[in-house]
Amino acid sequence: MDARDDQGKEGLVFNIQKYSVHDGPGIRTIVFLKGCALSCRWCSNPESQKYRPELAYNAGRCLGLDKCVRCLEVCVRGGLTRSDDGMPSIDRTHCEDCHMPCASACPAQGIIVYGQKRTVDDVLNVVEQDAAFYTRSSGGLTLSGGEPLFQGDFALALLREARLRCIKTAIETCGMAPEDIVRQAAPLLNYALFDIKHADSSVHEAHTGVPNARILANFRILAEEFPDLPILARTPVVPGFNDTEEAIAAIAAFLAPYAHVRYELLAYHRLGTQKYHFLNRTPPMGEATLANGRISRLQSVALGILRERVQMP
Amino acid sequence: MSITTCECISPQEQRLYDTIEGKEDKFRKTHARVFKLLERFEGQKPRIDIERALYFTQSMQETEGQPLVLRWAKALMHIAENITVHVQEDQLLLGRAGCDGRYGILYPELDGDFLDIAVRDLPTRATSPATITPEDAKRVAEEIAPYWKGKTYHEALNAALPPEIHKLTYDDPEGLVSRFIVNETSSFRSSIQWVHDYGKILKRGFNGIKKEALEKLAALDPLSAADYCEKKPFLDAVVIVCEAIVLWAKRHAALARKKAAGEKNPARKAELLRMAENAERVPGEPARNFYEACQSQWFIQMFSRLEQKTGTTISNGRMDQYFYPYYRKDREEGLINDAEVVELLECMWVGMAEFIDMYISPTGGAFNEGYAHWEAVTVGGQTPDGRDATNELTYLILKSKREFPLHYPDLAARIHSRAPERYLWDVAETIKYGSGFPKLINDEEIVPLYVSKGATFEEALDYAVSGCTEARMPNRDTYTSGGAYVNFAAAVEMALRNGRMKKYGDAQLGEKTGDPRKFKTWEDFWKAYVRQHTLFMKTAFIQQHIIIHLRARHFAQPMGSAMHDLCMKHCIDLHQPRIPEGIDLGYFEYMGLGTVVDSLAAVKKLVFEEKKLTMDQLLKALDANFEGYDDVKALLRSAPCYGNNDPYADEIGREIDRISVEYGGKYSMKDLGIHNDVRYVPFTSHVPFGKVVSATPNGRTEWFSLSDGTSASHGADVNGPTAVMLSNYNTKNMGMRDRAARMLNIKFTPKCLEGDQGTEKLVSFIRAFCDLKLWHVQFNVISRNTLLAAQKDPQKYRNLIVRIAGYSAYFVDLSPDLQNDLIARTEHGAM
Repeated sequence: MDARDDQGKEGLVFNIQKYSVHDGPGIRTIVFLKGCALSCRWCSNPESQKYRPELAYNAGRCLGLDKCVRCLEVCVRGGLTRSDDGMPSIDRTHCEDCHMPCASACPAQGIIVYGQKRTVDDVLNVVEQDAAFYTRSSGGLTLSGGEPLFQGDFALALLREARLRCIKTAIETCGMAPEDIVRQAAPLLNYALFDIKHADSSVHEAHTGVPNARILANFRILAEEFPDLPILARTPVVPGFNDTEEAIAAIAAFLAPYAHVRYELLAYHRLGTQKYHFLNRTPPMGEATLANGRISRLQSVALGILRERVQMP
Repeated sequence: MSITTCECISPQEQRLYDTIEGKEDKFRKTHARVFKLLERFEGQKPRIDIERALYFTQSMQETEGQPLVLRWAKALMHIAENITVHVQEDQLLLGRAGCDGRYGILYPELDGDFLDIAVRDLPTRATSPATITPEDAKRVAEEIAPYWKGKTYHEALNAALPPEIHKLTYDDPEGLVSRFIVNETSSFRSSIQWVHDYGKILKRGFNGIKKEALEKLAALDPLSAADYCEKKPFLDAVVIVCEAIVLWAKRHAALARKKAAGEKNPARKAELLRMAENAERVPGEPARNFYEACQSQWFIQMFSRLEQKTGTTISNGRMDQYFYPYYRKDREEGLINDAEVVELLECMWVGMAEFIDMYISPTGGAFNEGYAHWEAVTVGGQTPDGRDATNELTYLILKSKREFPLHYPDLAARIHSRAPERYLWDVAETIKYGSGFPKLINDEEIVPLYVSKGATFEEALDYAVSGCTEARMPNRDTYTSGGAYVNFAAAVEMALRNGRMKKYGDAQLGEKTGDPRKFKTWEDFWKAYVRQHTLFMKTAFIQQHIIIHLRARHFAQPMGSAMHDLCMKHCIDLHQPRIPEGIDLGYFEYMGLGTVVDSLAAVKKLVFEEKKLTMDQLLKALDANFEGYDDVKALLRSAPCYGNNDPYADEIGREIDRISVEYGGKYSMKDLGIHNDVRYVPFTSHVPFGKVVSATPNGRTEWFSLSDGTSASHGADVNGPTAVMLSNYNTKNMGMRDRAARMLNIKFTPKCLEGDQGTEKLVSFIRAFCDLKLWHVQFNVISRNTLLAAQKDPQKYRNLIVRIAGYSAYFVDLSPDLQNDLIARTEHGAM
């Protein structure tokens, strides 16, 4: 394919984060793509789930209507009104397909839009700014989401363009993607972070909205057909979902045959809950937290099966 | 977000407080002696010791009319003969400039004219207080201060500045209060930061220097008036000062012997006898072993503090280089082990921690809050022939830095392109350990720059870090005058107020650049800024011209000169305006780069390009300090900012740097005969400079501190540490020579540096810093306290990003509940 075709391709990006040191080797830039087929109850990036721009309102940054009415002045759809407490009130049913001028009018970043259309060229230009740091650290680009392969064509174009610019690539995936996209992405990758959330498909479906068959099949494709691709399998340990010895043991057993695959447990955190409020959604996990010491106990379970392949955070 | 790095309380100091609370420090057992020493003075308010001031004054009264360098040497001899000498319990080194515990000494030649009042106020002043006994305060008022009234350099400078220079320099007729616009820094210290060639004295001893001086005296032309009037007094002074320091050392030896005679504990008795033997030999004779080398260096360093007030304390130079031959020889001969080496080094660190570099003047105090100290010990780097210089001692010093419980010494690590991985690994581990030190200085920037300024490669490759961020070639550098600190944020304010400032009311301090409401284009505004900027530059250069010549009539440093090859060669004191063959590396300070760039970018974008604001609205909002203009403030804050690798802001920054460097290039050598290069290193002075600047167009409220060095404005850098570094790089004019140090502070969360992986990533980061040829960087590891501060003051910390695998958010956007959750995690290093 002609590189010029890739450069102009557009996708929906909701964040580009420099200096990431926890998602792949070295110093990396994460490009977060919008849209995901899963709807995990614990998702810490709720703004990533829907494949369309979303309006977010951060009351903590909003100056209040006594000091600033710039958002009200530009809203032509009637989505924004004055509420009794002197703050703007947003009815998001009016915001579908709106270009959301309220966000650019807001001086305080109280209203923001999650999800911007950006071209491959534009995204890679931003990623390439930190090239001096990738060179020294073997870092590079990490595609994340959402599920980055949800925007399959765009993701592949980003990876090809990164290759062209000699930037190393990684992906952070939930594994839910068409298998041909997975097969096309694999040779363009230097590293994969692959979430395995539960080995039991019905439990998986109950908590994420989808069964795990496609995910596990995609994992096998990567692990078996592309044995040179380093994989770090990761499990977010979530209270009431997979925080049991049995659940972790089952995942570890699934991974055991793939000797080159490493494994990491990530403890559930509640830090994303604020973003649910920005989106006017109720955090589905409520106040749930992991029991004290649970993570280390589960780590020993994993260690018992996978030994030195377990990566300690 | 940038935190001032040279602040007093570090996590390492926190460790000491923990110990006081009864928690056992994990290094206590292996460092028993230094812990004992430290506990004696921990938490003490520094005490003022007046002896140095007293004996210096007594002698100067006796020698009026004689050549200044000779008077200074005689004063040092008088001090050496009379000052109380101390042998501290448990210490292994001899030599201090004053009483036991934490102490400071006085330099009445600098501030004698108001010393009586200052000393009276010292115990109760808000920043960096100190105690003095009523008897001593009385002696200062009666025996010391009166002599100096009418004689200090500071008074002479105040009188010498023409009115249009004076009004931008001082806020009062006496010149005691700074305007904080074009601030002179030559009157609260005798010299800018400095490094001696300690290695030379270790090799030759002061007796060797004295012999050289005597030979030169003998070789003078007996018929030459110049030799008689200029060289002879200098050489006489060198002989006297060499004898003075040896005499001072021998008085210590005698006291140590006396104490040994009365000592019951046989181990301590042996120590005291060994100390006495050392002090009988060095610094007069060459050192023969590591212990003597340490003792010799320590005597030099402490006597140097008696000689004059070197700004930010005399630096320690390349300690891992000049001590190394002694270390290696002793190790080969089995005379010493590494634990003993570290113990001796740490006895020096304790001595450094006890000495407080007191700033008596209000301006000096504001510049160096929190008992600031920069006695820079340099490690690593390259040898004079360009090979990697690291050795076993480098690693021992780094290890000691991790284990020593106080924020001493100020440690600087030189980085070059071939720095060994082990060295960078150890440097990274040391940074992680707590206080963020060592600071890093980049050979790849400094060596070629110094060569372009006239040094040989050998000299440039052998530079030592000096003070906060400077680099010195101890036998080639010859410039000691403090330079101007120029508040360019005030130039922005003047461009907005037709040459006036809110703080100073109707005073027409700057150029009349007109009513900005009438400016049609961004170029009109930019021209107004440049006119104010140029006025400040001109003022700074005139100030410096006067300073260079005036200082020579007030200051001499026979000991520092005795240690300098060029001074000895040409028989001239280091404080004289021109030393043949010397390289004069002067600098003026660009204060508030981030504040200025962000302000100009906001005006350009919001007023002239997007027209989201009118100039009138902006001026009203600034005048009201944004009260009632919250939306304007928020809008201004959303404009492009320096520190984000944003070309919009960075191009303005590069242009500002260019006009500054260009001015220096045009007028430095031609008019001043020195390099007067642009530098970005504020110490803590961005705080007082901010106190005169009203609200600025970057959304900064009035009197708030300016941005520091080349760091971003508070909370303005929202793209992480790589962007901060790249903005620094983008704003440099690398094709131009007339530039000096740039200080850069970068913050890290502990999570980013966690484990071996974290160390590895920090090493890569340091390599990239080296590749980018940035002058300096130092790291702040965010502590729990920072998060607590961010909770309290979210505006200041609005860019604090919490980075967790696959997720990141602004800390200030989290609910208090979640913030507390994170704070709790940080305690376990899990953020």
